[in-house]
Amino acid sequence: MNFDLGRVTLVALFAIVPIVGIALGMRAPALRSKIPVLVAFFAGLIPIVSLYIPKDFMSGDSGMSPRLDQWLIIVAAFALLLGITNVLSVNNRKINRREPGWPYAVVLLTGLLVTGGLGIYGAISKQGIGLLPDGSSTPFNWITVYVFQSLQSTIFALLAFFMASAAVRAFRARNTEATILLIAGGIVMAGRVPLLEFLAAPFPPLQPSAAAASQGLGKATEWIMNIPNGAAQSGIIIGAALGGASMAIRVILGIERGYLGLGKGD
Amino acid sequence: MPGLLHRFLALDRRWIFLLVLLSVAGPIIFPVGLPVTVTESTQKSFDYIEALKPGDIVWLSFDYGPSSAPENDPMAEAFLRQCLLKKVRVVVTALYPLGGLGLANQCLARITAEYPDAKYGVDYINLGYKDGATAVMRRLGDDISAAFPTDVSGRPLSEFPIMRGLKSIRDVKLVFTAATGLIGEYWITQVHSQIGTPVIIGPTAVSAPKYYAFINSGQLVGMLGGMKGAAEYELLLSRGHPELASLYRSTKGFTATKGMDGQTVLHGFILLFIVLGNIAFFQERAKKARA
Repeated sequence: MNFDLGRVTLVALFAIVPIVGIALGMRAPALRSKIPVLVAFFAGLIPIVSLYIPKDFMSGDSGMSPRLDQWLIIVAAFALLLGITNVLSVNNRKINRREPGWPYAVVLLTGLLVTGGLGIYGAISKQGIGLLPDGSSTPFNWITVYVFQSLQSTIFALLAFFMASAAVRAFRARNTEATILLIAGGIVMAGRVPLLEFLAAPFPPLQPSAAAASQGLGKATEWIMNIPNGAAQSGIIIGAALGGASMAIRVILGIERGYLGLGKGD
Repeated sequence: MPGLLHRFLALDRRWIFLLVLLSVAGPIIFPVGLPVTVTESTQKSFDYIEALKPGDIVWLSFDYGPSSAPENDPMAEAFLRQCLLKKVRVVVTALYPLGGLGLANQCLARITAEYPDAKYGVDYINLGYKDGATAVMRRLGDDISAAFPTDVSGRPLSEFPIMRGLKSIRDVKLVFTAATGLIGEYWITQVHSQIGTPVIIGPTAVSAPKYYAFINSGQLVGMLGGMKGAAEYELLLSRGHPELASLYRSTKGFTATKGMDGQTVLHGFILLFIVLGNIAFFQERAKKARA
């Protein structure tokens, strides 16, 4: 049997150390925050170090870093489970206490349990959650297509109405910044669509000029999007990346511990 | 006139809602057929896919939900049509939790019905949904079967000819992501920047401004920005493949080109509202200054 250094190290770091930590934490509460910080330190460090140590046990196909990525997919699935537990708990409390809007919580929980139940049924019965071999819908797929998709589209479509209403009432050139925004927004709104051609449609002699003007607007739009917008977006993205990197370093070094959810004195 | 303007601005907003409904629904029901001009980023995307050879493999990810389907569906459909027409093989995934897989299933069913010669598992495959977008992408860089051990129906990937020789996402010629939210950006940062696979993105119009930075830095092959980008792509597809022109001209079904008619009328109304609102605002300000 081959000795798999990567696997043994991962098991030691992410299974044995946490178990020991839980056991010690029961005896000494002060240790409760130490072990998670240690686990976070190694979870953050291994992917970084693997970039610099091209050894099989680190970055090979079954090395520590790819294995951590695999675990991350599993942990992400557990995050969904945590979310479901939270929804169940919050809405159950709302119903029991008859808080304002509790009937909506009943609808939400019914939707969650029925849809989730049909999904689990699809997995257990091996019929899946898509279409059956004869092309008909599974119950889960039916709910997805005829309930979920319609509801989500409807909710999002409402935005168009509120945006139009807000544009009438709120989009004003109140100061220099608002005026610049208004002009840029106006050019982009007009330049992204063939508005001038549409307006000139009833007047054939005006159509060539409208098409030329529309092309000019289109070019102005692309310039706005490429140059001022592109530059601003680059700045935002680089700033956010640097912020993310510094936060990651803080978490790895145990300076940032907010994610542990500990109260004062823990 | 000023009185009329103020009365218009004090209009019950339900009239504005009605106007919005008519301006969007009218042109979709009765298409106007307004012209579409092609932007550089869409042209680059189209040219890149046109240059692919039969048998090449590309990755199509459905990273959006029903809320943005009118924008993203036409992009994914056009991309899939172009690939199947050119005999480019397609691997389909969905990384968006709120309905991405359902839309992928429906789109595949619609488009593959147009190409009866295209065989599942040979010309295209649906790997289904997996949670944890960035983690999945990182895993795809090492081993596809580690992230997706089976296809959407639970059959092992080794059963499918399309997956033979396809170990990681390095082996595909292109990733096309029709995306809403952050997942599109992850394909650039996790897959293009770290693995090197070229990426084309089809974001919603509201997300598109962000991706100009990635186009400028050369990290994206191209972009289909919102419904306009999808309409541009439909136009290029109709020009490049005349057999598809009649499909996109037909009055059946929704296309981005039809959607652009509605969007044009709506943009016109909103711009008119903004202009009228500002005229009233300046009149009011002048009146106050005089007083």
